[in-house]
Amino acid sequence: MSDEHEQPRTPASSPPTPASAADGRRTFLKVGVGALGAGLAAVVVAPALRYSLWPLADGVKVTSGGEDFVIVGNRRQFGADPIKVDIYADRVDAWNRVANVKIGSAWVVEREGQLHAFSSVCPHLGCAVDWSAEHGKFKCPCHRSAFGRDGTAEEGPAPRPLDALDVEQRDGELVAIRFERFKQGTEDKVKI
Amino acid sequence: MARLIDWVDERTGIRALTKAALEESVPGGARLRYVFGSVLTFLFVQQVVLGILLATYYSPSATDAWASTAYIQDRVAGGWFLRGLHHHGSSVMVVVTVLHMIQVVLAGAYRKPREFNWWTGLLMGGLVLAFALTGYLLPWDQKGYWATQVATGIMGTVPLGEPLQHVVQGGDQYGNLTITRFYALHVFVLPLSLGALLTLHIYLFRRHGVTPPASLNESQLRDKTQPFWPNQLFLDVAAMAVTGAILVWLTYRTHGAELFAPADPASNFVARPEWYFLFLFQLLKYFEGPMSIIATVLIPGAVATFLFALPFVDRANSRAVKSRGAALGGVGLIMVGVVVLTALALVEDARNEDFQAGLADAERDAERSRELAAVGVPPEGGTAVWKNDPKYAAMELFKQNCSTCHEIDGRGGEEAPSLSHFNDRAWLRGVVRAPQSVAYFGGTKRHRDMEAYTAEDLPDDQLDAVVEYMLMVREQGAESPDLSAYDQALAKQGEALWASEVECSGCHSIEQGEDGDGRR
Repeated sequence: MSDEHEQPRTPASSPPTPASAADGRRTFLKVGVGALGAGLAAVVVAPALRYSLWPLADGVKVTSGGEDFVIVGNRRQFGADPIKVDIYADRVDAWNRVANVKIGSAWVVEREGQLHAFSSVCPHLGCAVDWSAEHGKFKCPCHRSAFGRDGTAEEGPAPRPLDALDVEQRDGELVAIRFERFKQGTEDKVKI
Repeated sequence: MARLIDWVDERTGIRALTKAALEESVPGGARLRYVFGSVLTFLFVQQVVLGILLATYYSPSATDAWASTAYIQDRVAGGWFLRGLHHHGSSVMVVVTVLHMIQVVLAGAYRKPREFNWWTGLLMGGLVLAFALTGYLLPWDQKGYWATQVATGIMGTVPLGEPLQHVVQGGDQYGNLTITRFYALHVFVLPLSLGALLTLHIYLFRRHGVTPPASLNESQLRDKTQPFWPNQLFLDVAAMAVTGAILVWLTYRTHGAELFAPADPASNFVARPEWYFLFLFQLLKYFEGPMSIIATVLIPGAVATFLFALPFVDRANSRAVKSRGAALGGVGLIMVGVVVLTALALVEDARNEDFQAGLADAERDAERSRELAAVGVPPEGGTAVWKNDPKYAAMELFKQNCSTCHEIDGRGGEEAPSLSHFNDRAWLRGVVRAPQSVAYFGGTKRHRDMEAYTAEDLPDDQLDAVVEYMLMVREQGAESPDLSAYDQALAKQGEALWASEVECSGCHSIEQGEDGDGRR
C-alpha cells in the first residue's frame, strides 16, 4: 500500500485537542503499516536477491567442462584445409554431471608445419563459423564476418581474429585441444 | 514528488483508485477477527513470489526434478530458506483458511446476502488443498512420490475415476507427464483460478462489507465506525507480520522443507501425506474393499455438500450464535472429526515401531543421497545419484567382472566360490567340512591342498570352537576389535585345538611368515 502522509483527511472544523490526539494515533498507524509492510517484504526480497544472483557469486561455478586438453584426432588427419572437430568432455551443468558430451567444436588447420586450432564460436556475437572452401575463408553465417586461414578478421563486424585454442601433440601422434570460451564482441580476447 | 504524482494522476486517476481501495468504513470499528482474509491474501501473494523464485532453478521432469530441488536446497545461496518458506507457507495457509472459516461461521457471515462470498471462499479453500497436493509431488522425492501415489490411486478406485486418474497423471503410471501436468496445474491453472476467485471474493466483500458482531445495534455500529485505512489495515498488517514471523521461525527451526531421497519405484517407502491430509489418510483405514468408497467419496462429499448448503441449512431468524445451534453444531462436529482423526493418525504412527524404523531409514537415505548429489547427478536423473556412491561402483564392478563365476546373495554363477556371507560362521564351518565343494574352493585353480574334515576327524563341538577361534583372530586384526563378536571361552578352546589336536597350524599360519604355507 502506498504511503499517503500528505493527503489531507481531517476536516478543518473538528475541535482542536481531540483531533490532534486522533491525528497522532492515525500517523502512528500509518507509519506502522509502512514499517511492518516493508519488514515483511524484506523477509523475502533480501534472500531472493542473494538467491537470484548466486551464479555470479565468488567461487560459484554453475557449469564446468573445457578445463582440460581433449584428444580430437590423429596428427595425420589434419592438413592445410581446415577440419572441424567436435570436443567431447565431462561436463557439470548445474545439478547434472554428464560424462563425455559435446561441449563445442573447433577448426584445426596446418600452417607451415604447425597445427593451429580455432574456436568455431564467432568472436562477434557467438554464431558458429563455417569453412568456405570456395572462398578460402571462415565465414560467419549471421553477420557476414569472414576470417582468413590464419584466423585474422578480414570482413564484417567481428572485432578480433578467431580465437586460437591451445593445441598439444601427445606421443607424436594424437592431437589434443583445450576448448575454452571467450568474451564476445570485444577487441581483446578475454577468457570467461 | 507531489508534482510527479499530479502528473501521473492526471493521466491515470491513481488518486481516485487508491482512495476507492482504502476508503472503506468498517461499521462497529476495526477488529482483530477481521484480519484472516487479509492474511490469506498476503500469504497467497508471498507464495506466488516464492514460487516464481523456485521456478528459476527448478526443472519439471522425472529425471531432473529431484536433482534440481536438491540443488536449490543444498547448493544455491538462500535456496533452503525460500523453499522452506514456500513449503511451510502452504501449512500456514491451511491453518489460516480454517481460522477464517471458523470466524465466518461464528459471525454467520455465510448467511444472506453473502452466500456467494461463502461459496467462493469454500472453492478457494479447496484450491488451497489442491495446491498442497500438486506441490507435494514436484520435488519427485520418496515422500512426494509415494504420498501422491495414494491420492491418485484413490482417484482410480472411484466410479469413472480411472480415466480421470490417467488424464491427471498422463498415462497409466507415473512419469514425465505426471510431473509436467502437476507442474502446469500448480503454477498456472491453480494460481489463475485462485486469483480469479479471490478478485470475485474481494469484490463481493466490498459490496456487502464486514459482518459485525450480532450484539451491536444499528446506532452502536454507526457510532463506532472506523475507516479501513489506517485502522483496520494496521491490524491486518500486524497480523501478517505475526504470521510472517511464525513462518520464518518454522523455516529456521526445520532448516526449510524436507527433501527425501529421489523417488524410487522399487523401494518400500513409508508413505504419509502432509499433516493436514492425515485425517483423510486415517479415515481410509476404517473401510475395507468395496466399502472404501465411503471414506474416499461419500464422507468427504457429504461434508462438502453440507458446507455448501450451510446458508440454506441455517434458517434461524437471528445471526446470534445461540439461535444457530444446528448449523454451528454441524460445522463443530466436522471440526471435531478432523481433529480426532488427525490425532489418531499421529498417535498410531508414534507407536508404530516399523513406521519409526522406516522413517529413520528414509532420513538416512535422504542425507546420503543429498551428499552424493553434491558432485552432480548423472543424466539418468533421480536414483542415478546412488551411482556416485563408491559402494555402488563396487557392486557394478562385481556384476561386470565377477558374477559370471561367483554367486552373491542368490545372483551370479556357480563355478567359483560363493561369496554370500563370506567368512561368517556358517561359511567357515562349511569350508572345513567340504573345502573342495564348488561353493568353496572346488572351482578354483589354486587352494586345492586342503582335505575335508569329516565329523569323525573333527566333531561338531570342536569345529565350533575352531570357528570361534578364527573369528577371534579376525577381530583382533581389526582396528577396533569387537569382543562381543565371538565367544571368548569357546575361542580359547579353539586356539588349543588349532595348534594341537586338529593340527590346522600344520598348513595355516596365523601371523604372516610363521608356521605353514596354507591360508590364514
